[in-house]
Amino acid sequence: MKRFLMGMRVLLSTALACLVVFTYSPAVYAFCGFYVSQADASLFNKASQVVIARDGKRTVLTMANDYQGNVKDFALVVPVPVLLKKEQVRVGEQKIIDRLDSFSAPRLVEYFDSDPCARYEAYDRMTSNAVGITRSAAPAMAAKERRDYQVTIEAKFAVGEYDILILSAKDSDGLESWLIDNDYKIPQGAKALLQPYIRQNMKFFVAKVNIAELSKTGSQSLRPLMMAFESPKFMLPIRLGMLNANGDQDLLVYILSPKGQAEVANYRTIKVPSGSDIPVYVKNEFGDFYKSMFKTSYEKEGKKVAFLEYAWDMSSCDPCSAEPLSNDELRKAGVFWLDSPNNSGIMPSGRRRPIFVPNDGRVFITRLHIRYSRDKFPEDLTFKETSNQESFQGRYVLRYPFKGETTCDAGKEYQRSLRPRFEKEAQTLARLTSWDIGDIRRKMNISVLPDPVEVPFWENLWK
Amino acid sequence: MLKLPFALPRSLTKFFDASNSLLTSPFKDARYYQILFLSVFLLLGVSTRDWSLKPIAIAITFATCWLTQICMISIFPSPSQPEKERWTSLKSATITGLGLSLLLRSDSYGAIVCAAFLAIASKFIFRTNGKHWFNPANFGIVMVLLLDQYVWNNHAWVSNGQWGEDSLYALVFLGLGGIVLKKVGRWDTSFMFLAAYSILEGLRNLWLGWTWDVLAHRLTSGSLLLFALFMITDPRSIPNAKNARLIWAVAIAVLAFIFRNVFFNSDAMFYALFLISPLTVLGDRLWKAPRFQWLPKRYSIQT
Repeated sequence: MKRFLMGMRVLLSTALACLVVFTYSPAVYAFCGFYVSQADASLFNKASQVVIARDGKRTVLTMANDYQGNVKDFALVVPVPVLLKKEQVRVGEQKIIDRLDSFSAPRLVEYFDSDPCARYEAYDRMTSNAVGITRSAAPAMAAKERRDYQVTIEAKFAVGEYDILILSAKDSDGLESWLIDNDYKIPQGAKALLQPYIRQNMKFFVAKVNIAELSKTGSQSLRPLMMAFESPKFMLPIRLGMLNANGDQDLLVYILSPKGQAEVANYRTIKVPSGSDIPVYVKNEFGDFYKSMFKTSYEKEGKKVAFLEYAWDMSSCDPCSAEPLSNDELRKAGVFWLDSPNNSGIMPSGRRRPIFVPNDGRVFITRLHIRYSRDKFPEDLTFKETSNQESFQGRYVLRYPFKGETTCDAGKEYQRSLRPRFEKEAQTLARLTSWDIGDIRRKMNISVLPDPVEVPFWENLWK
Repeated sequence: MLKLPFALPRSLTKFFDASNSLLTSPFKDARYYQILFLSVFLLLGVSTRDWSLKPIAIAITFATCWLTQICMISIFPSPSQPEKERWTSLKSATITGLGLSLLLRSDSYGAIVCAAFLAIASKFIFRTNGKHWFNPANFGIVMVLLLDQYVWNNHAWVSNGQWGEDSLYALVFLGLGGIVLKKVGRWDTSFMFLAAYSILEGLRNLWLGWTWDVLAHRLTSGSLLLFALFMITDPRSIPNAKNARLIWAVAIAVLAFIFRNVFFNSDAMFYALFLISPLTVLGDRLWKAPRFQWLPKRYSIQT
C-alpha cells in the first residue's frame, strides 16, 4: 500500500518546513507601560521560520516544523553542505522559536497626549504587536522506475521522533528514483532542481516521523530540527522549495551572530518602513495593517528585495515586545559562543534591560522577512555577517488625543491641531498600506472633529 | 559652425564655434568625468537605493583623503611634478573618497578614517619607479575588511547587494562608465574582465544545471559592474601596456571566481584585485609602455 507522502511538503520544507506563529505574551516590561496582547491570527500564508546561529564557519541551523497533515505522511528533504552525524542533529523546541519571533516582531507603541491645559509631561505606555500564523499545503506527484540509484546512505539514525537519513547522490536521476521508490512522493521538475545541489557536493538530509517515538512525547505536533555543522557556505536553499509553489512564499530568518547584523549578500536588503504615526484605530487591526504594509512595500520594490524587520543586540530592547531571552534559551536556540551556559536571570522591570555579558558573549539578532517567488528570486539566498551594530526595529506609533475638557486657549489650539494631525496620519496609513483613504477617514471619524478654522493673527494681539 | 535658426550676438558666437573644445569635451582631465559620474552614482544610491549613509561619514572620508594626500605629497614629493601642480592631485584623492563612500560601509568613524588614510598612504608607500601599484580605494577597503575579520571588530563591511540587480542601473553604469573609459582608453581592461568572469560563471552555471536566469542574476549585480568599470580600470595603477592589462584583467577574473565559488567569499572581487595588484610591476617590466598621464605633459614621460 502506497503511503501518501506530501511531496510538496517534502520540497517546500526543503529549505524550511514550518509554521510561523507570531505570538507575544502579555505583561511585558517596558518603560512606563504594559503590553496589550492580541489574539492569534493568520498573517502570512506558507511562511517558514529558520534560525541560523553563526560564528565564522560554525553554524547551528534550526528549522521550525509545522506540518499540518497526518504525521505518518510527513517527510523532509533538505540539502545540507556537509555530512551530518547523529551528534550533530537534535530536536529543538518550538517555544524558543516563538520567543525569538515575539522578541523581534514589529511592535506598536502607544503615546497618550497630556492635558494641554495642564503643564506636566505626557506619560508613555507600550502596546504589543502583531501576530500571525501560517500554514502550508503539500500536494504529491507520481513516480518512475529505476534500479541503479547511485545513492549512498551515508548515515542513518534516529533523533527524537524523527528517523533521519543522510544521503549523497551522484546524479539527480538516481536520487529521484531512490526517493520515489522509497515512497517519497516528489513533484515533477524536482530532478532538474536536485541536480545543482548534487553537483555542489551537498548531501541530503531526509527525515521521517517515527510514530512510536512521537506518541512517547505525548504531543501531535512535530518539533523543530536542529543541525550543527561547519561550512563556509552561509546560505539557504530556497530554490528547491519553490517547486509547485503557487505564488509567493514567505520566509522568516533569524540570524544570531556575535559580530553584528547579517544581511542578504546576493539580493538587496532594505528596512521595512518604520516609525510612522498611524491612526489609533489600527490597534485593533494591527495584523491586517502589517500584512498590507508589507505587501505594499514588497510590491513597490518590484518584489525582489529582502526586508529587515529587526536588528538588535539581544541583551536589551527598547521598547520590548517580549522579555529578552535568557542565556539558557539562547543556547537552546543554537547560540554556542556564550561563555556560561547558566541562566543569567530575569531582569527587573524597567526601561532597558542590559544583561551584563562579556563582549564575546554578545548575541546580535537580525530578523529578515523574505517573500520570494520563482521569477524574482532565481538564486538561493546567500547571507553575510557584518559587524554592523546599528539597531533597527519595526515600530509604529499610536498617539491618543487628550479626551478631557480643554477650555483654555492652549486647549482650543490643541483641538484645532487635531484634525490636520489625523489627516496626516490617515495619509501615512494610506501610503503605507494602500488602503482606501475614504475608508480610513471614516473609521477615524475625522469629520467629527472641529474644522481647523484659521484664527486671524490679530485676534491674539487685540483681544 | 553650428547652424542655429536664429542669429547669435557676436559675443556669443565663439562659444558655438565647433572648434571650441569646451563643446566637444568640456573637461580636459578625465578625472573630472570620473568625479562627476561617481558623484551621480552616490546620489542615486542614497536617494533611490535607500542606503543609510550618514553625511558626516562621507565628510570624514573626503576630509581624511584630502588631508592625507596633502601631507603625503609634501613628505614624498613626486620628482616630475612641479610644486604648484600638487593641488591637482587632490582630484585623485576625491575619486578615492568617492569610491570609498560608494563601497565601504561602517557604523564607526574610526574605521572610515582608517580606510581613507590607508587608501591614500598606499599610493606613497607601495611604489616602484614612481608608480603606485595598489588601487587606493581597493587597498583601503581590503585592509579594513581584513582587520575586521581577523583582528578586531572593525565595524566596516561591504554591502554586495546594495544596488540590487536592476537592469536600469546596469545600463547607467555601463553608459557612464563607458564614457570615462573611452577618455582614458581603458575599455579593454573592463571588457576583458567582464568577459572572462562571465564565461567562468556561465560555465559553472552550465555544469551545475541552473537555468540562465540564475546566471543573469549573478552578473547584473550593480557592485560587480561598478567594480569592473571604475575600480580595476584606474589607469595610474594598472599595467601600462595593453597586453599586460588584458592578462591582468583575466587573472583578476579567475581569482575572483575562485574566491567566490570555492571559498564562498562574497567580497571576492576586492580580494582578487588586491592580490593581483603587485603583479603590475611584473607586467610593466615584461611589456614596456608609457605610463598613463591624466594631463598630457611636455617633457618626457616616465615609465
